[in-house]
Amino acid sequence: MGAPVCMEYRIEGNDFMEAGAASNNIKKTLKMLGIESAICTRAAIVTYEAEINLVIHANGGMLKAVISEDKIEITAEDKGPGIPDIKKAMTEGFTTASNQAREMGFGAGMGLPNIKRNSDAFEIESTLGVGTVMKSTVFFNKK
Amino acid sequence: MLKIKELCERLNADVQAPGEQDREITHAAVGDLLSFIMGTVSEGSAWVTIQAHLNVAAVAVLKEIPIIILAAGRKAPEDLVERCRTENICIASVSESIFDTCKRLSELGIKG
Repeated sequence: MGAPVCMEYRIEGNDFMEAGAASNNIKKTLKMLGIESAICTRAAIVTYEAEINLVIHANGGMLKAVISEDKIEITAEDKGPGIPDIKKAMTEGFTTASNQAREMGFGAGMGLPNIKRNSDAFEIESTLGVGTVMKSTVFFNKK
Repeated sequence: MLKIKELCERLNADVQAPGEQDREITHAAVGDLLSFIMGTVSEGSAWVTIQAHLNVAAVAVLKEIPIIILAAGRKAPEDLVERCRTENICIASVSESIFDTCKRLSELGIKG
Protein backbone atom coordinates (compact mmCIF):
# COMPACT_ATOMS: atom_id res chain seq x y z
CA MET A 1 0.00 0.00 0.00
CA GLY A 2 1.24 3.49 -0.84
CA ALA A 3 0.21 6.73 0.83
CA PRO A 4 -2.16 6.49 3.81
CA VAL A 5 -5.88 6.65 3.05
CA CYS A 6 -7.51 9.51 4.97
CA MET A 7 -11.24 9.69 5.50
CA GLU A 8 -12.96 12.49 7.36
CA TYR A 9 -16.62 12.91 8.21
CA ARG A 10 -18.64 15.67 9.80
CA ILE A 11 -21.10 13.94 12.16
CA GLU A 12 -24.23 15.93 12.97
CA GLY A 13 -25.46 16.10 16.55
CA ASN A 14 -28.76 14.39 17.38
CA ASP A 15 -29.09 12.93 13.88
CA PHE A 16 -29.77 9.36 14.95
CA MET A 17 -30.89 8.28 11.51
CA GLU A 18 -27.63 8.98 9.67
CA ALA A 19 -25.49 7.52 12.46
CA GLY A 20 -23.49 4.55 11.22
CA ALA A 21 -23.07 5.80 7.66
CA ALA A 22 -19.47 6.98 8.14
CA SER A 23 -18.56 3.72 9.90
CA ASN A 24 -20.03 1.76 7.02
CA ASN A 25 -17.89 3.69 4.52
CA ILE A 26 -14.75 3.15 6.58
CA LYS A 27 -15.47 -0.58 6.96
CA LYS A 28 -16.12 -0.93 3.22
CA THR A 29 -12.80 0.80 2.49
CA LEU A 30 -10.92 -1.56 4.84
CA LYS A 31 -12.55 -4.55 3.14
CA MET A 32 -11.68 -3.17 -0.27
CA LEU A 33 -8.05 -2.91 0.86
CA GLY A 34 -8.16 -6.62 1.70
CA ILE A 35 -7.94 -6.25 5.48
CA GLU A 36 -8.94 -9.37 7.42
CA SER A 37 -12.65 -9.53 8.29
CA ALA A 38 -12.21 -9.75 12.09
CA ILE A 39 -10.04 -6.62 12.03
CA CYS A 40 -12.59 -4.78 9.89
CA THR A 41 -15.28 -5.62 12.45
CA ARG A 42 -13.14 -4.35 15.35
CA ALA A 43 -12.50 -1.09 13.53
CA ALA A 44 -16.21 -0.84 12.67
CA ILE A 45 -17.20 -1.22 16.32
CA VAL A 46 -14.78 1.57 17.29
CA THR A 47 -15.97 3.96 14.58
CA TYR A 48 -19.65 3.20 15.17
CA GLU A 49 -19.50 3.79 18.91
CA ALA A 50 -17.43 6.95 18.36
CA GLU A 51 -19.98 8.15 15.83
CA ILE A 52 -22.87 7.46 18.19
CA ASN A 53 -21.09 9.32 21.00
CA LEU A 54 -20.72 12.35 18.74
CA VAL A 55 -24.44 12.19 17.88
CA ILE A 56 -25.76 11.58 21.39
CA HIS A 57 -23.40 13.46 23.69
CA ALA A 58 -21.30 15.97 21.79
CA ASN A 59 -23.73 17.81 19.55
CA GLY A 60 -21.73 16.50 16.62
CA GLY A 61 -18.06 16.57 15.70
CA MET A 62 -15.46 15.13 13.34
CA LEU A 63 -14.69 11.47 12.79
CA LYS A 64 -11.39 10.80 11.09
CA ALA A 65 -9.79 7.55 9.96
CA VAL A 66 -6.26 7.23 8.65
CA ILE A 67 -5.49 3.84 7.13
CA SER A 68 -1.80 3.07 6.64
CA GLU A 69 0.07 -0.11 5.84
CA ASP A 70 -0.21 -1.76 9.25
CA LYS A 71 -2.99 0.06 11.10
CA ILE A 72 -6.07 2.24 11.17
CA GLU A 73 -6.01 5.29 13.42
CA ILE A 74 -9.42 6.61 14.37
CA THR A 75 -9.94 10.06 15.88
CA ALA A 76 -13.22 11.50 17.12
CA GLU A 77 -13.06 15.15 18.02
CA ASP A 78 -15.82 17.39 19.30
CA LYS A 79 -16.50 20.74 20.89
CA GLY A 80 -19.18 19.31 23.13
CA PRO A 81 -19.69 19.68 26.86
CA GLY A 82 -16.75 17.41 27.78
CA ILE A 83 -16.74 14.42 30.12
CA PRO A 84 -16.66 15.31 33.84
CA ASP A 85 -15.36 11.93 34.99
CA ILE A 86 -13.66 9.78 32.34
CA LYS A 87 -13.18 6.84 34.70
CA LYS A 88 -16.93 6.74 35.31
CA ALA A 89 -17.63 7.11 31.59
CA MET A 90 -15.38 4.11 30.93
CA THR A 91 -17.41 1.96 33.35
CA GLU A 92 -19.70 -0.53 31.66
CA GLY A 93 -23.34 0.36 32.30
CA PHE A 94 -22.75 4.01 33.16
CA THR A 95 -24.55 6.40 30.81
CA THR A 96 -25.72 9.99 30.65
CA ALA A 97 -27.74 9.50 27.45
CA SER A 98 -31.15 11.15 27.17
CA ASN A 99 -34.37 9.20 27.59
CA GLN A 100 -35.05 9.56 23.87
CA ALA A 101 -31.67 8.01 23.04
CA ARG A 102 -32.22 5.20 25.53
CA GLU A 103 -35.65 4.37 24.17
CA MET A 104 -33.98 3.85 20.81
CA GLY A 105 -31.55 1.39 22.34
CA PHE A 106 -28.61 3.77 22.62
CA GLY A 107 -27.08 4.69 25.96
CA ALA A 108 -26.34 1.16 27.15
CA GLY A 109 -23.23 2.48 28.84
CA MET A 110 -21.13 0.25 26.61
CA GLY A 111 -19.84 2.70 24.00
CA LEU A 112 -16.45 3.63 25.42
CA PRO A 113 -15.86 0.15 26.91
CA ASN A 114 -16.63 -1.38 23.49
CA ILE A 115 -14.17 1.03 21.88
CA LYS A 116 -11.42 0.26 24.38
CA ARG A 117 -11.93 -3.49 24.12
CA ASN A 118 -11.58 -3.40 20.34
CA SER A 119 -8.58 -1.02 20.23
CA ASP A 120 -4.90 -1.94 20.41
CA ALA A 121 -4.18 1.57 21.65
CA PHE A 122 -6.73 3.94 23.10
CA GLU A 123 -6.61 7.40 24.61
CA ILE A 124 -9.20 9.99 25.51
CA GLU A 125 -8.81 13.54 26.67
CA SER A 126 -11.65 15.77 27.71
CA THR A 127 -11.99 19.30 29.05
CA LEU A 128 -15.28 20.51 30.44
CA GLY A 129 -16.81 23.18 28.25
CA VAL A 130 -14.13 22.70 25.57
CA GLY A 131 -14.62 19.22 24.15
CA THR A 132 -13.28 15.72 23.84
CA VAL A 133 -10.66 14.04 21.66
CA MET A 134 -10.64 10.27 21.44
CA LYS A 135 -7.98 8.27 19.61
CA SER A 136 -8.03 4.58 18.86
CA THR A 137 -5.59 2.44 16.88
CA VAL A 138 -6.28 -1.01 15.49
CA PHE A 139 -3.30 -2.89 14.05
CA PHE A 140 -3.85 -5.21 11.11
CA ASN A 141 -1.44 -7.94 12.15
CA LYS A 142 -2.99 -8.58 15.58
CA LYS A 143 -6.17 -10.39 16.54
CA MET B 1 -29.60 -26.32 8.88
CA LEU B 2 -32.21 -23.68 8.23
CA LYS B 3 -32.14 -21.15 5.45
CA ILE B 4 -33.52 -17.67 6.06
CA LYS B 5 -36.48 -18.48 3.82
CA GLU B 6 -37.39 -21.59 5.88
CA LEU B 7 -36.77 -19.79 9.14
CA CYS B 8 -39.23 -17.04 8.19
CA GLU B 9 -41.82 -19.61 7.12
CA ARG B 10 -41.46 -21.59 10.36
CA LEU B 11 -41.82 -18.40 12.40
CA ASN B 12 -44.83 -17.42 10.33
CA ALA B 13 -43.13 -14.06 9.86
CA ASP B 14 -44.18 -11.13 7.77
CA VAL B 15 -41.10 -10.68 5.59
CA GLN B 16 -40.68 -6.98 4.92
CA ALA B 17 -37.34 -7.24 3.08
CA PRO B 18 -36.13 -10.62 1.78
CA GLY B 19 -32.33 -10.37 2.13
CA GLU B 20 -30.33 -13.47 1.26
CA GLN B 21 -33.13 -16.04 1.37
CA ASP B 22 -30.79 -19.02 0.87
CA ARG B 23 -28.32 -18.00 3.58
CA GLU B 24 -28.11 -20.58 6.38
CA ILE B 25 -28.63 -19.51 9.98
CA THR B 26 -27.27 -21.47 12.94
CA HIS B 27 -27.11 -18.87 15.71
CA ALA B 28 -29.22 -16.07 17.11
CA ALA B 29 -28.85 -13.22 19.57
CA VAL B 30 -31.46 -11.15 21.34
CA GLY B 31 -31.28 -7.59 22.62
CA ASP B 32 -32.61 -4.08 22.30
CA LEU B 33 -29.46 -2.23 23.34
CA LEU B 34 -27.55 -1.47 20.17
CA SER B 35 -24.10 -1.31 21.78
CA PHE B 36 -24.75 -4.63 23.49
CA ILE B 37 -25.48 -6.27 20.15
CA MET B 38 -22.58 -4.38 18.57
CA GLY B 39 -20.21 -5.70 21.22
CA THR B 40 -21.41 -9.27 21.66
CA VAL B 41 -23.19 -10.77 18.66
CA SER B 42 -21.24 -13.07 16.36
CA GLU B 43 -21.35 -12.38 12.65
CA GLY B 44 -23.92 -14.30 10.64
CA SER B 45 -26.36 -14.58 13.56
CA ALA B 46 -30.06 -13.80 13.47
CA TRP B 47 -30.97 -10.82 15.70
CA VAL B 48 -34.24 -10.72 17.62
CA THR B 49 -35.26 -7.27 18.84
CA ILE B 50 -38.16 -4.88 19.30
CA GLN B 51 -36.14 -1.89 18.10
CA ALA B 52 -37.57 -0.87 14.74
CA HIS B 53 -35.71 2.15 13.44
CA LEU B 54 -33.02 2.92 10.90
CA ASN B 55 -30.06 2.41 13.22
CA VAL B 56 -30.93 -1.26 13.62
CA ALA B 57 -29.87 -1.65 9.98
CA ALA B 58 -26.62 0.24 10.66
CA VAL B 59 -25.71 -2.24 13.40
CA ALA B 60 -26.74 -5.20 11.22
CA VAL B 61 -24.57 -3.98 8.34
CA LEU B 62 -21.50 -3.40 10.52
CA LYS B 63 -21.84 -6.73 12.35
CA GLU B 64 -22.86 -8.63 9.20
CA ILE B 65 -26.16 -9.79 10.64
CA PRO B 66 -28.17 -11.27 7.74
CA ILE B 67 -31.60 -11.30 9.38
CA ILE B 68 -33.37 -9.01 11.85
CA ILE B 69 -36.46 -10.49 13.49
CA LEU B 70 -38.76 -7.84 14.91
CA ALA B 71 -40.75 -9.46 17.72
CA ALA B 72 -43.97 -8.57 19.54
CA GLY B 73 -45.68 -7.34 16.40
CA ARG B 74 -43.23 -4.50 15.74
CA LYS B 75 -43.09 -3.54 12.08
CA ALA B 76 -40.21 -1.91 10.27
CA PRO B 77 -40.99 1.61 9.03
CA GLU B 78 -40.51 2.26 5.32
CA ASP B 79 -37.03 3.82 5.66
CA LEU B 80 -35.77 0.77 7.56
CA VAL B 81 -37.29 -1.62 5.01
CA GLU B 82 -35.65 0.38 2.23
CA ARG B 83 -32.23 0.30 3.93
CA CYS B 84 -32.50 -3.45 4.51
CA ARG B 85 -33.35 -3.95 0.84
CA THR B 86 -30.34 -1.86 -0.19
CA GLU B 87 -28.01 -3.76 2.15
CA ASN B 88 -29.53 -7.16 1.31
CA ILE B 89 -30.58 -7.84 4.91
CA CYS B 90 -33.74 -9.78 5.68
CA ILE B 91 -36.15 -8.00 8.01
CA ALA B 92 -39.10 -10.01 9.26
CA SER B 93 -41.82 -9.19 11.75
CA VAL B 94 -43.43 -11.74 14.06
CA SER B 95 -46.43 -11.25 16.35
CA GLU B 96 -45.08 -13.47 19.17
CA SER B 97 -43.26 -12.04 22.16
CA ILE B 98 -39.47 -11.98 22.27
CA PHE B 99 -39.57 -14.91 24.70
CA ASP B 100 -41.77 -17.06 22.48
CA THR B 101 -39.78 -16.13 19.39
CA CYS B 102 -36.53 -17.23 21.05
CA LYS B 103 -38.21 -20.41 22.31
CA ARG B 104 -39.35 -21.16 18.78
CA LEU B 105 -35.86 -20.51 17.39
CA SER B 106 -34.43 -22.88 19.95
CA GLU B 107 -36.94 -25.57 18.98
CA LEU B 108 -35.81 -25.11 15.38
CA GLY B 109 -32.26 -25.94 16.42
CA ILE B 110 -30.88 -22.40 16.41
CA LYS B 111 -28.19 -21.94 19.05
CA GLY B 112 -27.54 -18.94 21.25
